[in-house]
Amino acid sequence: MRRSIFAALLAFGPCLAAGAILAQDAPRLRGPDPFSKEIPAPPMQRQVTDDLRVMRNYPDQPPVIPHAIEGYAVDLNANKCMSCHARKFTEQSQAPMISVTHYQDRAGNTLGGLSPRRYLCVSCHVPQTTAKPLVENTFADMDALTEPERQPARGRN
Amino acid sequence: MDLTRRALLKAQAAAAAAAAANVALPAKAQNIATGEDLHLQWSKAPCRFCGTGCGVMVAVKDGRVVATHGDMQAEVNRGLNCVKGYFLSKIMYGSDRLTQPLMRMKNGQFAKDGEFQPVSWERAFDEMASQWKRVLKERGPEAVGMFGSGQWTMWEGYAASKLMRAGFRSNNLDPNARHCMASAAVTFIRTFGMDEPMGCYDDFENADAFVLWGSNMAEMHPILWTRVTDRRLSHPHVKIATLSTYEHRTTDLSDMTLIFKPGSDLAILNYIANYIIRNGAVNRDFVEKHCNFRLANTDIGYGLRPEHVLEQRAQHANDAQVSQAASFEDYAKLMSEYTVEKASDLSGIPKERLEALARLYADPKTKVMSLWTMGFNQHVRGVWANHMVYNLHLLTGKIAEPGNSPFSLTGQPSACGTAREVGTFSHRLPADMQVTNPEHRKHAEEIWKLPHGLLPDKVGYHAVQQDRMLKDGKLNAYWIMVNNNLQTAPNTNNETYPGYRNPANFVVVSDAYPTVTAMAADLILPAAMWVEKEGSYGNAERRTHFWHQLVNAPGEARSDLWQLMEFSKRFTTDEVWPAQILDANPDYKGKNLFDVLFKNGAVDRFPLSELDPAYENHESKAFGFYVQKGLFEEYAGFGRGHGHDYAPFDMYHEARGLRWPVVNGQETRWRYREGYDPYVEKGSGVQFYGNPDKKANIMGAPYEPPAESPDAEYDLWLVTGRVLEHWHSGSMTLRVPELYKAFPGAVVFMHPDDAAKRHLRRGQEVRVVSRRGEIRSRVETRGRNRVPPGLIFVPFFDASQLINKVTLDATDPISKQTDFKKCAVKVVAAAMADAGEQP
Amino acid sequence: MSRECHISSLVVHSRPDRVASVVDGIGAIEGAEVHGGEEAGKLIVTLETETENQVVERVNAIQLLDGVLAATLVFHHFEPVPELE
Repeated sequence: MRRSIFAALLAFGPCLAAGAILAQDAPRLRGPDPFSKEIPAPPMQRQVTDDLRVMRNYPDQPPVIPHAIEGYAVDLNANKCMSCHARKFTEQSQAPMISVTHYQDRAGNTLGGLSPRRYLCVSCHVPQTTAKPLVENTFADMDALTEPERQPARGRN
Repeated sequence: MDLTRRALLKAQAAAAAAAAANVALPAKAQNIATGEDLHLQWSKAPCRFCGTGCGVMVAVKDGRVVATHGDMQAEVNRGLNCVKGYFLSKIMYGSDRLTQPLMRMKNGQFAKDGEFQPVSWERAFDEMASQWKRVLKERGPEAVGMFGSGQWTMWEGYAASKLMRAGFRSNNLDPNARHCMASAAVTFIRTFGMDEPMGCYDDFENADAFVLWGSNMAEMHPILWTRVTDRRLSHPHVKIATLSTYEHRTTDLSDMTLIFKPGSDLAILNYIANYIIRNGAVNRDFVEKHCNFRLANTDIGYGLRPEHVLEQRAQHANDAQVSQAASFEDYAKLMSEYTVEKASDLSGIPKERLEALARLYADPKTKVMSLWTMGFNQHVRGVWANHMVYNLHLLTGKIAEPGNSPFSLTGQPSACGTAREVGTFSHRLPADMQVTNPEHRKHAEEIWKLPHGLLPDKVGYHAVQQDRMLKDGKLNAYWIMVNNNLQTAPNTNNETYPGYRNPANFVVVSDAYPTVTAMAADLILPAAMWVEKEGSYGNAERRTHFWHQLVNAPGEARSDLWQLMEFSKRFTTDEVWPAQILDANPDYKGKNLFDVLFKNGAVDRFPLSELDPAYENHESKAFGFYVQKGLFEEYAGFGRGHGHDYAPFDMYHEARGLRWPVVNGQETRWRYREGYDPYVEKGSGVQFYGNPDKKANIMGAPYEPPAESPDAEYDLWLVTGRVLEHWHSGSMTLRVPELYKAFPGAVVFMHPDDAAKRHLRRGQEVRVVSRRGEIRSRVETRGRNRVPPGLIFVPFFDASQLINKVTLDATDPISKQTDFKKCAVKVVAAAMADAGEQP
Repeated sequence: MSRECHISSLVVHSRPDRVASVVDGIGAIEGAEVHGGEEAGKLIVTLETETENQVVERVNAIQLLDGVLAATLVFHHFEPVPELE
């Protein structure tokens, strides 16, 4: 029963080629078949720690974090992220400086340091695991639409 | 980087700034780039996810969304989004989008045990209509039901309400917001006579102390949390106190963290009331002028099936909502039982810390904002918990002014707008009116231009009851829209799934993606989502905001609004209304339901020429009039002049949302307070005008224990909830690779000692088992959530780890909202345990 | 370290009577360009710089111009200037 719905669904989507590798993850999105069946838990995934910048989907996308952040304190006393990404530490850390937008408060005034409203970095910047996406996402960025011939080969997705 | 790319980026940069400033750039000024290629059309929209209601700017190119960013002009978020909001651009582009109706078939016919096959809309609606007609004929209107959502746009919810109540004459319409904030909504009415907060988000910049009751705002309301942390870090005197059953990212940034035993928040709240009374901190003048006292019925059961022993044993299971008028002394006497010792014993929190918390409320100079969501609302005493926090604010007069604010947060983008204001609950009509009130029904019949006596007077089945009635075969034709209830309802294996597959029932699911719920349906209808349609949401601070249709839905996917209205064309009044009403109102005989509900001279009042030519509008073009405007304006007629005033339709396409009541073009930031709220009479200072005597109710209620607590066999508390990266059941966010990869699967957050005691190590596969069912998952002893011994936390977004097979279908007996935060489980190693981390 | 190119944009709120002089002032700042918004008093300005610090410097310089009420950064994007050039 289940096979036919996938065939039916895939026939309409543009994901036909990807279907074979993605189908195994279907329960992750659609639940077990039948519903009442018990299925093994997926393994926990490793963190990406290669420190390689990942291309953004569009300019305003917060970059993802290419390293592990486990145990990083972000509390009322300390912000571990800023020990590398604050302007004054970027030379020794060679980490990207926080964006200049992060110096502005809610009213648009430029401050001398990280704006308090931007304090909790992980609200917007998230680390990545090596998990393979469950299903292809067909989002195309503006460059792909304006100058498709000039697209670099996609990095890891 | 070549010059073209530079020019492209500069064009984007300028366009973004122009959009933020709402300035149109003259064509000649765009000297940095030429050609259509570089042009992006930027438009505003609210975020698709939580109840915060952030503004987003959306860029469209060649009919596709290509970028989004936080809207600088939106007061709510001033340019910020959380990680989910920043990835809105990708939520519509999962490659398994549904693009055609799919029906279970065998030999070319519908068959309950058939396999899904694509069919045309015509065929889908033919089958659906014949099933509806069969059920209506054989079983009557009470066998027809619909389960909607606080993610419906306001006009979708409104159209659904009309179709169900006036069309099919059934109040079996409920939103999944029932699982989310019914306790808050019910308590607003019980306390103030009117739904929704008196304050607004401006309170964040005015409060001296924030008290979070069972709320992890850092993950669940990240942008509001930026306003809290901004205030805290910029003003050293400000304090944050967080009460929770485990530690998390919010407690990381709190001055006071109070970890309590599940359910004991009731005792803590009453202790604070007692502290206020004993220490002379009651604002006598305010209480005398503006408050009444009442005592609630006690021993009210747990909203389980009536034959359950806990319901049989409860004294007031059947009149849980009743309360008696009382005096301040009666209330004070009840509160006096809640000494600091008792509160400390029940909660496990040291006395000094409880006292420090109580002082925040008692100190007249400290402006307190209390915040809560699911910790209070998903609670078998959720209504009481809501009452108890209002009690604190009312006793001290700390309410309805900047910074003094009991504030109920919401989980869905239009929990307020659609579920509550529009009235899609099984007991409600638009603008806070109730289906059981004959005057209210009459008023609705007049506005809807329908015969008197048409609207049903019986409260319909609420969310959990719908599942039970489907299973019991009493609800037989069922339409689910914009939600994934088979993943999110409680005790699904026993109480939800059997009803969907019951051969007596025909279940339809409208969704954008093949969800767990869709896969269990008989007919799946492909839905348009978010900016694929013109929409309106109402956020947690009474802000109503609109957006235009920016792109077309893929394939044959259609908006819920189109589906509801188009389906109504399949019925005539003769088929759905009783002969008695038609005989008394012969003009309505033989009429098409679409004509009486939607082509009624009001909804079809605005011609297509009023559409903004810059935007598509699929529904309006399909039906031949400006559908959204007509529905909104008819609906707005319910509230104008009654404290629920909306601005004229067109204003919302200009503004970044407006907070109702909007009177003479002015929004209202603080209700019930003179000087802010035009409905408060001059010289009165404060008026809770939702109630006839213009007073608010202080409701005394005791601590009562949860429905199920850990014992020798099931020795752990189970708390379920969300994570930052995924929204609810994950049907959108799991399809965004960056969000999926950030949090790729549910885990069992467990204390390291509890793991060691069970000989479990991090990453090991385990079974989480309750009396209802079990799932397999993995142990996590580190990470963002730090649970105390004796308690585990499991998020519910993962369709392969359906934790709601384990949860208990106990509800608050008054609000009927499920308690997803408290049941008893055990955790054991999976039989075939394998290595934790993938090699 | 390799070179970078930073493209950013801001909205500059100006006193209505000083818009012309603000536009001149911005024009004198290296890498800054005005794209419109004179009528509304909300100038749309882009900056093209090599470093992030220069963005901050220029935004500050614009904020200090006589007649400027506020300069709000809206957009910031940077990328390495690669082997292509």
